[in-house]
Amino acid sequence: MSVVDLSKLPFQGNNLRSFLDEVCETHELDYAAYAGMNPIAGSVHGFVNYPDEWQKVYVDEGFQNRDPALIAASKSIAPVDWQRLRGEDTFQTIFRAAHDFGIADQGLTIPVRGPFGDVGLFSVTRKCSDAEWALLKKQIIGDLQNAAVHLHDTVVKSHALTQKLTHPALSEREVEILQWTAAGKTQQDVADILSISSRTVEVHLRSSRSKLGALTTSQAVGRAIGLGLIYPL
Amino acid sequence: MIIVVDGMNRDRYRGLLDQMFELRARVFGGRLGWEVEVVDGKEVDQFDALNPAYVIGVNEEGRVVSCVRALQTTGPHMLSDVFSSILDGQPPLRSPTIWESTRFCVDTELLGRGKCRNSVSYATCELMAGSLEYAQNSGISDIVTVIDPVMNRVLKRSDCAPYDYLGKTVPMGKVPAMAALLDCSDERIEKIRAFAGIEGDVFVDEETADSLADKVPAPKAPETLFEGMVPAASEIRVTQSMLEEYCLDQFHAASDMGELEAAKKLTGILRKAGMIRDSEVDLIAG
Repeated sequence: MSVVDLSKLPFQGNNLRSFLDEVCETHELDYAAYAGMNPIAGSVHGFVNYPDEWQKVYVDEGFQNRDPALIAASKSIAPVDWQRLRGEDTFQTIFRAAHDFGIADQGLTIPVRGPFGDVGLFSVTRKCSDAEWALLKKQIIGDLQNAAVHLHDTVVKSHALTQKLTHPALSEREVEILQWTAAGKTQQDVADILSISSRTVEVHLRSSRSKLGALTTSQAVGRAIGLGLIYPL
Repeated sequence: MIIVVDGMNRDRYRGLLDQMFELRARVFGGRLGWEVEVVDGKEVDQFDALNPAYVIGVNEEGRVVSCVRALQTTGPHMLSDVFSSILDGQPPLRSPTIWESTRFCVDTELLGRGKCRNSVSYATCELMAGSLEYAQNSGISDIVTVIDPVMNRVLKRSDCAPYDYLGKTVPMGKVPAMAALLDCSDERIEKIRAFAGIEGDVFVDEETADSLADKVPAPKAPETLFEGMVPAASEIRVTQSMLEEYCLDQFHAASDMGELEAAKKLTGILRKAGMIRDSEVDLIAG
């Protein structure tokens, strides 16, 4: 998967928007949007790659405050498929308007919860049949979860105090596994060395990547070395 | 059959949730003797206020017979905040694709032995299959779950043994507790279903969901996004001098080296974040 690493870029709307474009391109989606809030900074963030005309209508009408996709997802731990909202009046109002701009009512919103009570909502949409959507969703939902958290963490860490409070707290097991990975061992090698299952190694690597804000294991190894958590070999 | 109640629909299922909190009180407060708070015969903790998802097993009469609670590991959850003893002081896992499941229990008083539909074994397997399928549909690949040794044995016997454990088994009330890892794979789900003879969709259909809902629906007020979650600008107007004063107070109030170190660390963090002035830091720490 090709990815834009947000944390290496200065925090700018443009870069985040290119991340949305990238996610859409990789996963055959039409549009993507992010809305989030950080209670420490007392701030609300939002950016989208929808057509400019629709963005204007959306904001002018104040849809972001009463969009049921966002409100529902902020109370859910699971991604909310918009099909669940088709019966609601507000949903109908917003999507009748969106339809004029070529935006489909097929989509989902992924809720992200962070350690400070911060919340992020990552939405994607695609014009297609229910059957096609069900197939696509199954394929990409895991990747979208990762993208959503990466995006949200990056936005939250753009605030100076939140960034200082976020220290990657790796467990001894996670450090140990990263250290062996830095030494060039494969996942199975590490599992054999530590006498644990390969899946346990995988779960710890996934957790390390998330804590270090990395999208790939090699990025995570690089950052862990940079932070002095493991030794370069 | 299984129903998922979460922040989106909990207003419709207050009756079902009450039954669930009562079951949890009987199991965790009673049988297992954990140090949980039971008020009015219901066990409710601070994590229930965070809009978790409950996967609930219901029998044919509409009684709650099993339940489990799920939270994301990216945000506040039990292993990060209250079960740290299980992890032996180690930080918990954090991943977009790992959920935490807690308060997994079945009603052993209402359910019988054997493998029939109204048995502990069937209810456990159905709840397990339901929660793994719910997680899998959400893009989740693994679950870290806090369980007691009895539940652990039930899982092993149901062809659903955890693939690993985190930290250590620690005493918690009358019985110990442990953190187990389960994958949300098709393979595991099929094994549980085969063991208990579960066929077809375990989740309730729309009609049954309606019949389980409260007879008197809760009044619904119009909502706005992030309502009450973001402090108003006036509430968070903490000035630089207020923060500097606070740091100074922390230094003065420190009664041992540990507290002094903590005060130094906080001052350092705030200075690096550019929230207090360098010149003031020297005065405070000096």
